[in-house]
Amino acid sequence: MKNKRYLAGPYLFWSISFVVIPLLVVFYYAMTNDEGSITFANLAQITTQENLKALGMSLLLSFVSTAICLLLAYPLAMILSSKNVNQSSFIVLIFILPMWMNFLLRTMAWQTLLEKNGVINSILSFVHLPALEIINTPGAIILGMVYNFLPFMVLPIYNVLIKIDRDVINAARDLGASSSYTFLKIILPLSIPGIISGITMVFVPALTTFVISDLLGGGKILLIGNVIEQSFKQNSNWHVGSGLSMVLMVFIIASMALVAKYDKEGEGSSF
Amino acid sequence: MIKKYLEKIYLFLIFILLYAPILTLIVLSFNNSKTRAKWGGFTLKWYSSLFQNEQIMNALYTTLIISLLAAVIATVIGTAAAIAIHGMKQKWRTLYSGLTNIPMMNAEIVMGVSLMLLFIAFHVTLGFGTILIAHITFNIPYVILSVAPKLRQTSRRTYEAALDLGASPLYAFFKVTFPDILPGVLSGFMLAFTMSLDDFVITHFTKGPGVDTLSTKIYSEVRKGIKPEMYALSTLLFVTVLVLLILVNVSPKKDAETAAARKHVRRRSRAGRILIKRVIPVAICLVFVGGGIYYASKGQMLTKEKLIVYNWGEYMDPDVITLFEEETGIDVVYEEFETNEIMYPKISSGAIAYDLVCPSDYMIQRMRENDLLAEINFDNIPNIKNIGKDYLERSKEFDPENKYSVPYCWGTVGILYNKTMVDEPIDSWSVLWDEKYKDNILMQDSVRDAFGVPLKYLGYSLNSTDLDELNEAKDLLTRQKPLVQAYVIDQVRDKMIGNEAAIGVIYSGEAIYTQQENPNLEYVIPKEGSNLWIDSWVIPKNAEHKENAEQFINFLCRPDIALMNFEYITYSTPNTAARELIEAESIRNSKIAFPDLSTVPNLETFQYLGTKNDEVYNELWNKVKSK
Amino acid sequence: MSNKLIDFINISKSYGTQTVLDDLNLYIRENEFLTLLGPSGCGKTTTLRILGGFETPDCGQVIFDGEDITNLPPNKRQLNTVFQKYALFTHMTIAENIAFGLKIKKKSKQYIYDKIKYALKLVNLDGYENRMPDSLSGGQQQRIAIARAIVNEPKVLLLDEPLGALDLKLRQDMQYELIRLKNELGITFIYVTHDQEEALTMSDTIVVMNQGYIQQIGTPERIYNEPENAFVADFIGESNIIPSLMLKDRLVKILGVPFACVDEGFGQNKPVDVVIRPEDICLRKPGEGSIDGVVTHLIFKGVHYEMEVRANEYDWLVHSTKMFPIGTQVSIHVDPFDIQIMKKPESEDEEAVNIEE
Repeated sequence: MKNKRYLAGPYLFWSISFVVIPLLVVFYYAMTNDEGSITFANLAQITTQENLKALGMSLLLSFVSTAICLLLAYPLAMILSSKNVNQSSFIVLIFILPMWMNFLLRTMAWQTLLEKNGVINSILSFVHLPALEIINTPGAIILGMVYNFLPFMVLPIYNVLIKIDRDVINAARDLGASSSYTFLKIILPLSIPGIISGITMVFVPALTTFVISDLLGGGKILLIGNVIEQSFKQNSNWHVGSGLSMVLMVFIIASMALVAKYDKEGEGSSF
Repeated sequence: MIKKYLEKIYLFLIFILLYAPILTLIVLSFNNSKTRAKWGGFTLKWYSSLFQNEQIMNALYTTLIISLLAAVIATVIGTAAAIAIHGMKQKWRTLYSGLTNIPMMNAEIVMGVSLMLLFIAFHVTLGFGTILIAHITFNIPYVILSVAPKLRQTSRRTYEAALDLGASPLYAFFKVTFPDILPGVLSGFMLAFTMSLDDFVITHFTKGPGVDTLSTKIYSEVRKGIKPEMYALSTLLFVTVLVLLILVNVSPKKDAETAAARKHVRRRSRAGRILIKRVIPVAICLVFVGGGIYYASKGQMLTKEKLIVYNWGEYMDPDVITLFEEETGIDVVYEEFETNEIMYPKISSGAIAYDLVCPSDYMIQRMRENDLLAEINFDNIPNIKNIGKDYLERSKEFDPENKYSVPYCWGTVGILYNKTMVDEPIDSWSVLWDEKYKDNILMQDSVRDAFGVPLKYLGYSLNSTDLDELNEAKDLLTRQKPLVQAYVIDQVRDKMIGNEAAIGVIYSGEAIYTQQENPNLEYVIPKEGSNLWIDSWVIPKNAEHKENAEQFINFLCRPDIALMNFEYITYSTPNTAARELIEAESIRNSKIAFPDLSTVPNLETFQYLGTKNDEVYNELWNKVKSK
Repeated sequence: MSNKLIDFINISKSYGTQTVLDDLNLYIRENEFLTLLGPSGCGKTTTLRILGGFETPDCGQVIFDGEDITNLPPNKRQLNTVFQKYALFTHMTIAENIAFGLKIKKKSKQYIYDKIKYALKLVNLDGYENRMPDSLSGGQQQRIAIARAIVNEPKVLLLDEPLGALDLKLRQDMQYELIRLKNELGITFIYVTHDQEEALTMSDTIVVMNQGYIQQIGTPERIYNEPENAFVADFIGESNIIPSLMLKDRLVKILGVPFACVDEGFGQNKPVDVVIRPEDICLRKPGEGSIDGVVTHLIFKGVHYEMEVRANEYDWLVHSTKMFPIGTQVSIHVDPFDIQIMKKPESEDEEAVNIEE
């Protein structure tokens, strides 16, 4: 059926109109100033001390939270994939269901949990443990990132793990590999596409968030996302905001390239 | 086995991590106290008041309609695209999968910003339509990614077999291919719907005034304190979906003895499952959508006379609006902003014609200087006589001829402290630099308020434009930063009530409420002086319903109405007639609510300092924040 | 043949409520090519996986070379497995795949290099060292899987339907290849298949299994010519299985007609099952055989004609190189030594003739 190809028409039109052109508009704003002449000043804004600091902080926090997500998600994905849980019900439990509780509310609830006199500290003091003082610190932001983005790490890894033939693992064991050797040489390398996909799925939103730092950082920590948000929503400085967005795009494109390289089949991203 | 045990514990801990906040919110929905910092006993009242809260119900309606429309349209476009892409050559497929990946991988903020700029560049008014377009855009990839694997699983042969048996391509598709990919289409739809429902960032950038989804509504409430009805609503949504999922997933267990019996059971359970999997969800969706339409129609019935009000969050008793609507038949469209700085660009861009806005002093000055305000016709506002002369006098600092503004609330900025956590009586800003209170200090998270503190402490003017003075203030703030627990706006209130901090910089209006909730709190205006602020009603030049606006101002100046508002928002009223009506003497003569302006030294009102100086302030503030 | 190498003692295994193996006892001798044959779900693969160490039996013991290995993990067992879908490591080259087990044993580089060369030569794939598994055909991948297993010099090679995914011609080639390999290596092969022809071609010993029970153990000839019960007779080759009455020793009444046979010891007037292979039936002119009938179906099969003869209300399956057109009146003759008498099954489990394949 040749005319089937036209079915992609609306999508193509939509994508170009609302994905590609908008990015070009951002690019245009990034490269011009108020008078409409071409400038690199907006891109150069990233080099100011404050913005560099914000970017550095964003990179640091997103690295740390991505690493934590990976460490938490891998065992989780292993356990779930060995349990033969129905895939769709697993996705529902970990992804869909929590989303019906608004993301902002869920993140805000961590305030209630983490506060000095919050739920967690009440429990800790009840069992005579030292209080956890991470609210309004980078620690709380990392927690918020891990909490919000963990599912995006679990799912791709899980998707790759369940596709590994049990007999491939059996074969390695059969050939004399201990279970740890099997993990290092067989399971881990085979799950690389999932890991890479998961890393980018966590790293990009963590790098660019402004909501989590807003809600859990006590306004003390400025991430690059906050800077961009403010330049659009409060200072109405669209050119600078666009310039900074373009700088962020560098990281995003790098991530996409990474995924394209390691996850050719798109194994990691299918739902 | 130990391993099994460890696995169970691990799963349990992750489950706790994922669901602890949700549980917290559910508990909060039964909390009989307006602030989440305090447990005030069990109540169901938020569940009943939820359905009377038109703003929340409207936001719910908008959210559901947008999610549903976006999901349906995205499912149609996405499924068609997936089918087309499936039949393409490798080269094209790679191109399309790249195209699909952009919205998937792109940062939400960049996508939101890019769409916002697109709409503005092409002069599309931000609103319902733009949100919908944005949602469809980020939903399509999810649908494609759900459908594509199913297409890969379906054999082309069955489709060809259908053609061979004489089916037309269309018939073959709908009878053979489509049923095979249906689970993928449905899960794509489901995913798209949920993603839409939960989205905040993209909606935040593409929404226009007057349209709020639950997310944006919540975000605007975050600083002020979430309305408990919101918890109730979220709990209802969550529990509904949970019940639905349980119904869908728990199908009758098959323990039949013989094959025949098993077959029988299977057939019966299939009928049951169709009922559970299809009918009930559809019924619930219908209830949702129907409810939404009901609320929407209710909101749109009175469209003949309109008034668009733009006010601070939580800055008016909703009953006041209802009363006004009942008395005049004018339909009030009510919107909220968080800071003057957020409000200003919306007015200056003129994208929406607001009829009545309530900015603060210095912002009124800025708007007046930039010719954004219309003169008020005071013939329409006889109740102006109830406003105290002092306040009109003070207003002259930003409105020299009292031509543009009518005072609504006023107050001071001071220190709220917890007597049980602070040893000495506090009378100076200096306490904010005391190492003793490290991590126990709450500061205001807005430029002028934050700089006001060190400027006053140093003995300079709040409106200083002297670079040396400002740098000195910046250095003080930087030095203070390690001591500060958080920079917040309205959350000072909740945190102080919950004993989260010892000292907070706060508006006097909030102090009254916090004292009611936590008697250990004390408010003081430091001896070095402070800020006296006035929020007043102004009418933008492009207002389309100026007379309605004046009628509303007049209504608000009525003593009984002003009293209602005072009791609701607890900010000092300039309405002397209303003050006389306050029953509790302790409040009527409260030093906090109504300080004797002559006895407090160095009270100053903010002034607009011009764009250049604004930039200086912003830059210095950014330096403080990024240290 | 030499002594017992492997001994299964009272092995049982069930998944949930489904019993897969029920009190299985089986021993395997050194250098034997033993095939576990049966329809899917008969327990043959489970038996193999228990031996490989991928499953633990619910009860019973597995003895290997005099040692109890029931709870030994797979990596500690001196046997290697060739998996059904090859289970090659797709992220490694062919050479890395083959070297996998040797590297774990910490063999020298030179040794590993030589082994890879030798193994690839053995499976006729010299020069494939640096290819990736995905770039190979199914048959080639299978041979790599075998190479990967045998370089470890296991005492026993377990093969789990290794040819199942290959097409007919390739499968036949690989069968000879496997026999050659077995002879060259001189080790024990345990082979699982549901394909009776494969089993008959390659095995020294065949174990026919059904529903968790061993139905018969024997050489291919014995299994084919002297099936012990209706299941074996039906599963191996084609056959006429007819409920009959053993009148006395050496005489059986089939469809009301007494036939001479060679079996003894079934008692007098005992119901039995009789198996007669279609190629053992001789068609003669009417009246010249034991039962008269008429040809109702005729199909040309290449080496022979397949016919159905209706006689005494039974459709006899007959293979013959001579053609009798449909409608021909014929008479059926069977030599006494071609009549195989089987006991009637006593329990329901044993009966289970329904083959799911």
